Amino acid sequence: MGDSTIKNIPNLESKLKKFNSLDGSHPFKKVLPEGFVDYQARIRPGAKVRFFNFDLAKEMGLIPKDHDNKLDKELTEKLKNTFGIIIINEFDIENNNEYPKKEIKDGKYMATRYLQLQHKDKKGKSSGDGRSIWNGRVRHNNQQWDVSSCGTGATRLSPATTKFNKFFENGDPTISYGCGYAEIDEGIAQALFSEVFYQNQVRTERTLAVLEFEKGYAINVRAHQSLLRPSHFFMYLKQNEVEPLKDLLDYYIESQRGLKSFEHCPKGDGKYKFFLHHFARVFGGISATFENEYIFCWLDWDGDNILMDGSIIDYGSIRQFGLFHSEYRYDDVDRFSTSILEQREKARYIVQTFAQVVDYIQSGEKKNVHAFKRDECLKIFDQEFENQKNKSLLFKIGFSEKEVTSLLKNELKIILQYRKVFSYFERAKSKKGIIKVADGISWDAIFCMRDILRTLPKLMITRKSKIEDDEFISILKSNYATEEDCEINPYRSKMIRSFQDLYWKLIELVAKNNRTSFEKQILDVSMRASVINKTARVTGDSVSLIVEQLLKERDKLSVGEIYDVIKDFAQIQNFNPLQTPVENREVSGLVKKFFEIVKEHREGL
Amino acid sequence: MRLVFYSGGHDYENNVLDELLIGLSGKNPQITYIPSCSYLCDQDFREFVDQYGKFNIHNIINFPIDSDYTEVLKEEVFKSDIIHLSGGNTFYFLKHLRKTGMLSDLKRFVRNGGILTGLSAGAIIMTQSIETASFPSFDRDDNTENLKNLKSMGLVNFEFFPHYKNSKRYDKEITIYSKKTDKPVYACPDGSGIVIDHDKIHFVGKAYCFHQGKKFILK
Repeated sequence: MGDSTIKNIPNLESKLKKFNSLDGSHPFKKVLPEGFVDYQARIRPGAKVRFFNFDLAKEMGLIPKDHDNKLDKELTEKLKNTFGIIIINEFDIENNNEYPKKEIKDGKYMATRYLQLQHKDKKGKSSGDGRSIWNGRVRHNNQQWDVSSCGTGATRLSPATTKFNKFFENGDPTISYGCGYAEIDEGIAQALFSEVFYQNQVRTERTLAVLEFEKGYAINVRAHQSLLRPSHFFMYLKQNEVEPLKDLLDYYIESQRGLKSFEHCPKGDGKYKFFLHHFARVFGGISATFENEYIFCWLDWDGDNILMDGSIIDYGSIRQFGLFHSEYRYDDVDRFSTSILEQREKARYIVQTFAQVVDYIQSGEKKNVHAFKRDECLKIFDQEFENQKNKSLLFKIGFSEKEVTSLLKNELKIILQYRKVFSYFERAKSKKGIIKVADGISWDAIFCMRDILRTLPKLMITRKSKIEDDEFISILKSNYATEEDCEINPYRSKMIRSFQDLYWKLIELVAKNNRTSFEKQILDVSMRASVINKTARVTGDSVSLIVEQLLKERDKLSVGEIYDVIKDFAQIQNFNPLQTPVENREVSGLVKKFFEIVKEHREGL
Repeated sequence: MRLVFYSGGHDYENNVLDELLIGLSGKNPQITYIPSCSYLCDQDFREFVDQYGKFNIHNIINFPIDSDYTEVLKEEVFKSDIIHLSGGNTFYFLKHLRKTGMLSDLKRFVRNGGILTGLSAGAIIMTQSIETASFPSFDRDDNTENLKNLKSMGLVNFEFFPHYKNSKRYDKEITIYSKKTDKPVYACPDGSGIVIDHDKIHFVGKAYCFHQGKKFILK
C-alpha cells in the first residue's frame, strides 16, 4: 500500500503524476470557505479496482495516451492510494477512534453543502454530499475535471444525521443510505449507463473508477468539467446570503471561460445576463432531450440531480424508458418523484430561480421568485425547448442535420402538424390505467414510435405507397397494448392517415430540396432511421439485469476486460447514424448476452 | 432455381457476380438484405446499398431476423426479387433463421422463382450443411451458440467453402473434410463465386473442388 513502490520508479511516477493533484485540494475551498465540510481521510484497506475508464483517464491526462487498457501494478496502487479512502468523520472524533499515522492522507477532502428537498429545513443548512467527498481538480490540455468519490463515509450532511440528530459510524449497517457507503452495483450501473449516454451526446457525469470492498461495498469515482449543481447556488439563495452567492456565481462563470460556449461572455456585469441566457438555453435543450429520449431524471425545485451544464449526476433514480411511459413516478419512500413530462416545468423553474439569483446579486434585493415568471430567460428556455423538440422529431425520422435545419427554416407549419400527430401516438396509454411497478407507479404507454419510424420507410420503399390502418397499428403496438388498446376508431384512423400523409410530405420536400428522387431519399431515411431507432435500446430495467450479469462474472474478468465490455456495449448502443465503424467487430460473448437482455426488455422502464 | 454464392471480398471484387445477378433479375429489382446478426448490421447494409447503388438499384431494405420484426414487413420481404443473406457468424445466423421459421420460407421463395444470394455465411447456409464454417482451425466461426444440428437449407448438392486461399494448410483441412462427405466441396477465394440459373452452374473467378480426398481446379 502507499506510494513507496512508485517513488522508486521516477519515470513512472512522472507518468502518473496528475493523480497527485487529486489530494483534496480544490479552488472552491478558497472561494467559499463556508460552502463545505472538510474531512481528514485515511486509506481504506481491502480495495479491489473493478472498473477504470482508461479512455477518460487518457483524456484527463491521468495516464499517458499510449497506456494499454490494462492495469499494471503501479497504476493499481495509484488508484487504490488516490481513491481507496474513507473519511475520519464526526463519529470517529466523538469516539476518539485512532488510526495509524501512515494510513492518514495528507490532504483534507471536502463534502460540499447544497440544497436537498429531502432535508426538512429546505434551506440547505445541513444538506449536501452525504456520502461523497471531492478528490480535487485535474487540468489537462486546457480542460479541467472535478473529481469526486461516492461511498467514502458518512458526512454530517447526510439526511440520516439530520433526521436522527446524531453522527453515524462509517458503514453502520442499521442506517443503510446514511452509513456513507456506496455499493458496487450502483457504481457499475453508473459507469455503464453514463457511457451509453455519453456516446449518444446526452450530457452526463462519467465514471472514472470503481473500487470494490468487502460485502459488495464500493467507492464510485465520478468526473466532470464542473461538479457544481444548481442546488449549490440555491442553498445561498434560500439562506439570503447574497455575498457567497455572488462569489459562487463569479467563480462558476470564470471557470467556464475556457469553454467555447463562454468565449463571448463579457467581463463586467454583463456576464450575469450572458450566463443566465446560456443557462436557459442549456436547460431548455436538456429538458427536450430528456423528453425525446425518454430519460427519466428526477428534477425538482432544489436543483439537485443535475449539474450546472445540464449533465446528469447521480444515476440512483435515472432511467431510460423503452416507450414514452410518461406517467412513471419513482417511489422515494415518503414522496413520489416528478414524471417525465413534469421535468420540463421543473427545469424551467430552475431557470426562473436563476433569474432570481442573478437579480439578487445585481440589485442586492431578493425578490419573490414569482416576480420572474415573465423573465426573458424563460422565453429563451421555451424557444430552445421547442427547437430541440422539433429537431429531434425530424432527426428521428432519419433526416440529416442539414435537412433538419432546412426543414425547420422553411416548413415549420407542417413540422408542428406532424409533431401533434406523433404525440397522439407516443402518449397513448393503456386502458388499464395507473399500476404499481417495482419501484414506483406507472401508466403503460402502448405504442413504440421507434418501431414505426424504423419500419415505415422500408414499407414505403417496397410498396411505394402508404400502408393500411391495421398494418400501421400492428407495427406500432407494443407488448403493453391489449386488443382493446389497439382499437381503430374513426379518430385514430384519421390520425394514422395524417401521420403518413405528413411523413410522406416531409420526405417529398427534402427530396425536392436535395434534387433527388423520392426513392433515393426514402432509402437514405430508412438507413438512418434504422440506426437512430434501433430495436434494442437500453432501458433502466435492462441496465439492472446487465449489471447483475456483469457482477456475476467479475472475478473472471480483468479490469481491462470489464472496461472493454462496457465500451463495446456503449458502442453498440450508439445511435448516431454517422458513427464511425467500431474498432473491434468481434465483441465478447458477454456483450452478446447483454444485447439479448436489452432486446428482451426494450419496451420497459 | 436461381442462386448466387459469393465467397466474400470487397464490392469491386464482386462486380462480375453482381452483373450476372442483375442479369438474372432484370432491371431495378426489389432486394432484401438479411444480416446474420442485427447488432452492427447497419454499416454493412450501407455498404451493400452503395454496392448496388452503382447499378442504379435503390429498392433495398434491411431485414434483421434476430430481433423483433413485424409480419407486415416480412410479407414484403418475400415479395422481393432478390433476397441476400449476409456474411457473419454462420452458427448464429442458422440458429435464428431456424428459430424464426425463415429457412422453410426462404426455400419456398426460391421454389416460387425468387433469387437467393448469400455471401460467406449466407452462401454456406444455402447448402445442405454448415459444417464448412467450423474449419479450418485457424479461420473458422466460433459455435458460441453451441448449435448441434448443422443441417441447413439444402438447395444444392454441393457444399461451399468461402474465403478459400490456395495454400497447403487450407487444402489439408478441406481434403480431410471432403473424405467425410459424399458431396463435392466447392472452395472459392474472395471475389469468386457460383451462379446457378435453373439447370446451369457458372463459376465466376477461380474455383476449386474437393471431393473424396482429392482437389480439382474448376476454373
